[in-house]
Amino acid sequence: MDRATLVDRLEAIVGRGGVFHRPADLLVYEYDGSVDGVVETARPAAVVLPTTSEQVAAIVRLANQAGLPVVPRGAGTGLSGGAVAQTGGIVIALTRMDRIIEIDPVDRVALVEPGVINLELSDTTLPYGYFFAPDPSSQRACTIGGNVAENSGGPHCLKYGVTTNHILGLELVLPDGKLVWVGGRAGDGPGYDLTAAMVGSEGLLGIVTKALVRLTPSPEAITVMLAAFGDVESASQAVSRIIGAGIIPAALEMMDALTIEAVEPQYHAGYPMDAGAVLLIEIDGIAEDVEETAHEITSLCRESGAREVRVATEKYERDLLWKGRKMALAAMGRLSPNYYLHDTVVPRTKLPATLKRVEEISHEFKLRIANVFHAGDGNLHPLMLFDRHRPGDVERVLAASKEILTFCVDVGGALSGEHGIGTEKRDYLTLVYTGDDLAAMAGLKNAFDPRGTFNPEKFFPKGYMCGEVRALRAQAMAQKHGIYAF
Amino acid sequence: MPSEFSPPNGEIPGLRSITIDGIRPARIDEPERPEDVADILAEADALRLGVAPFGGGTSLALGNLPNKVDIGLSTTRLRGIIDYEPTDLTMSVAAGSRFADVQAVLAEHGQTLPIEVPHPERVTIGGLIATALAGPRRFGAGSLRDLLIGISAAHPSGTVTKAGGMVVKNVTGFDLMRLYLGSLGTLGIVVSANFKVLPLPRAESTLLANYDSLSGALTAATAIRTSRVQPVALEVARVSKTEWLLAARIEGRDATVRLLSDEARKLAAADARTLTSDESAAWWRSYVAELSLECGVGESLIRCSTNPGGMNAKLQRAEERLISQPGLNQFLVSPGLGSLVVRIQNPGEDARDSFIQIRESLLAVWDHVVVLAADPALKRDIDVWGRTPETIDVMRSIKQEFDPHRVLNPGRFAGHL
Repeated sequence: MDRATLVDRLEAIVGRGGVFHRPADLLVYEYDGSVDGVVETARPAAVVLPTTSEQVAAIVRLANQAGLPVVPRGAGTGLSGGAVAQTGGIVIALTRMDRIIEIDPVDRVALVEPGVINLELSDTTLPYGYFFAPDPSSQRACTIGGNVAENSGGPHCLKYGVTTNHILGLELVLPDGKLVWVGGRAGDGPGYDLTAAMVGSEGLLGIVTKALVRLTPSPEAITVMLAAFGDVESASQAVSRIIGAGIIPAALEMMDALTIEAVEPQYHAGYPMDAGAVLLIEIDGIAEDVEETAHEITSLCRESGAREVRVATEKYERDLLWKGRKMALAAMGRLSPNYYLHDTVVPRTKLPATLKRVEEISHEFKLRIANVFHAGDGNLHPLMLFDRHRPGDVERVLAASKEILTFCVDVGGALSGEHGIGTEKRDYLTLVYTGDDLAAMAGLKNAFDPRGTFNPEKFFPKGYMCGEVRALRAQAMAQKHGIYAF
Repeated sequence: MPSEFSPPNGEIPGLRSITIDGIRPARIDEPERPEDVADILAEADALRLGVAPFGGGTSLALGNLPNKVDIGLSTTRLRGIIDYEPTDLTMSVAAGSRFADVQAVLAEHGQTLPIEVPHPERVTIGGLIATALAGPRRFGAGSLRDLLIGISAAHPSGTVTKAGGMVVKNVTGFDLMRLYLGSLGTLGIVVSANFKVLPLPRAESTLLANYDSLSGALTAATAIRTSRVQPVALEVARVSKTEWLLAARIEGRDATVRLLSDEARKLAAADARTLTSDESAAWWRSYVAELSLECGVGESLIRCSTNPGGMNAKLQRAEERLISQPGLNQFLVSPGLGSLVVRIQNPGEDARDSFIQIRESLLAVWDHVVVLAADPALKRDIDVWGRTPETIDVMRSIKQEFDPHRVLNPGRFAGHL
């Protein structure tokens, strides 16, 4: 099918204003939220913006006829290349499907379209006394569909869990163009948990056209604490003590000296400029309980060497403390023209050793690395500062990030805590998984998408096409069984 | 911190024989290593033998009548803690480990897996994953679905594969953990699992209040459910035709638990009493014990689910239909979860007809109706999982990928997969 025919047929499905195909219109869709040069970019044949589930299904059926790959896309804030059309084809941008269809305070659920913006959902449910718990840093822009695809986290998932814990059901378009529901309001449905399989599947298995999400009751009291430490080690120790005391705060974030240096002069959040590290601790719940817990956390921080602990209960004070954390990435512009935001995760007890290794890597590769991260669940975000126009910088960043990843995996960690694999980390997958492990995952992909239509060249290591995996697996099975025919 | 559980008298307390819906496998295997499990499965695959995995044997009644049972594969020798770092709040444990043993190790460090099952001293971790059965605490504390962070399973391809890891937040790879959870061993046999664990609550209490009608109890349950009390478990149980019991379990700091117990008591607006600490925990142990899947002649245990908001009308209908039913031994409602569990025993000649009629009447009203356990004579010709899911084709394809010759619990899962 030539491009003109494709565009005609797509316009027949979604109308004239719903298809982009001129190079200038496609340019922005070549990227996601990651840094040019670090994650690959690619141009789709066309971008289509449906407004209904049926249109999405029709587009997928058309793509199948045309033999074109399909890549779903939300707000494009992803950081692992998931929404980039690696092999061209049709990008289905779901941003025009942005209705909150229903808020049900009795069942504590909301039914939403995939293009609804994360923060807008919480803002809309707030008057009912509820919020949507996953809160990735991009929550002002990112969409629920994207959150489902990436199984997004955020600072508050320490207490409330990640996206998968908040998705009860999904309406999907499958790779054969069929529109189906998985999960729903009633729990304990029969069969395999396809809802869970979908969450975090990075657009490889299906396209979300509606999501039934769990709403969490807004806590009656919230307190945010700032604890300043001389160094990262004593801050890490405080984290261990808090968790060891059986306290799970709503959020437990750490920022190191370089981050404070970037943030404080810009946003005046009140972080001490001479601190080696600060912890931002949020606790929420019953008012009486929060007050008591705050006292206990204050003592635990002081015992770990905190030189200052501040407690903010009023909203404007809390917001100011959070502002520094939330604007940390934006503030990096003060220090460097570019940064590469890394996402790895280690067991909590391995945090001090990992941060030490990150510091060594910073020296070895002559890169400034700032650390701002979710300390409570061991999810690191080393920010490597560089200038992409300076020859050799991108290469050094990539080499250093490989060192960091390798170390994290060696101490029992994982490749990504919340950003996903996409194209960014696909070639590192073999650091954590064997060929057999990947073959099992390829089995799931094959079950949904035997022709590999959805989001090709993602997630599985390069050269690890599903067809090849299947052949390898068949061969391995044959050898194992001593039989050679299937 | 790996450790073995010391077996009493040096013996591994494994079951040496099982029957599945009355069928006894010709052979029982007790592999010691994950690779051995994979080898047995590869052999079964080559010879097209049906394999029934089992642990403590407490939940074998769950599932359709099997197509074939040639090998009973016991996970009992796969036991012990593989890794436990209390400060990380994570644990990796072999599938054949007994739930009570795991809880005892966690309790030494003030931690727990906040789930509850009948027969904790016999149930294995693998069995918990295969069945995904959850107790009343799921309302406020979540279920295994929220706690599972990594898994290893053996497959008929002869391989042992893993997914997830030992960190609490991880998007590296597809979520096979939750795919295997509740799959009744039909995609692979879980050989070990990693969990997020939680601190033990510092205090707990349980409010017990009595009502003379189901609707009275449900009204109180709604008042408590929508208040700031936020109980971890909230149940309504029939004691007799005119006596209904509401139970609300509250956990947290001492002072908070006291405060919220008083608030719950006011909301209950009925004759009520409060149990604290050990008494409270013991009450819930015996409540959960009633959910045992062991069934006698003519007996069945049925779980119905719907959305919590749509539940009351359905409950009234279920009550009208069942209240005069001879042999109605349990009528347990989880208002926050939208679920009803009934246990009926009818040893008479009309047992099967009556069972089929009751099941049909429930299916007509509730979203999902699962026969959790029943006398095998009752299970003939039905799919105990209820209506066939809309996505059965995808499920069949998944089964085909993981178990192409259908050797793992064939026929027992939803849609007779």
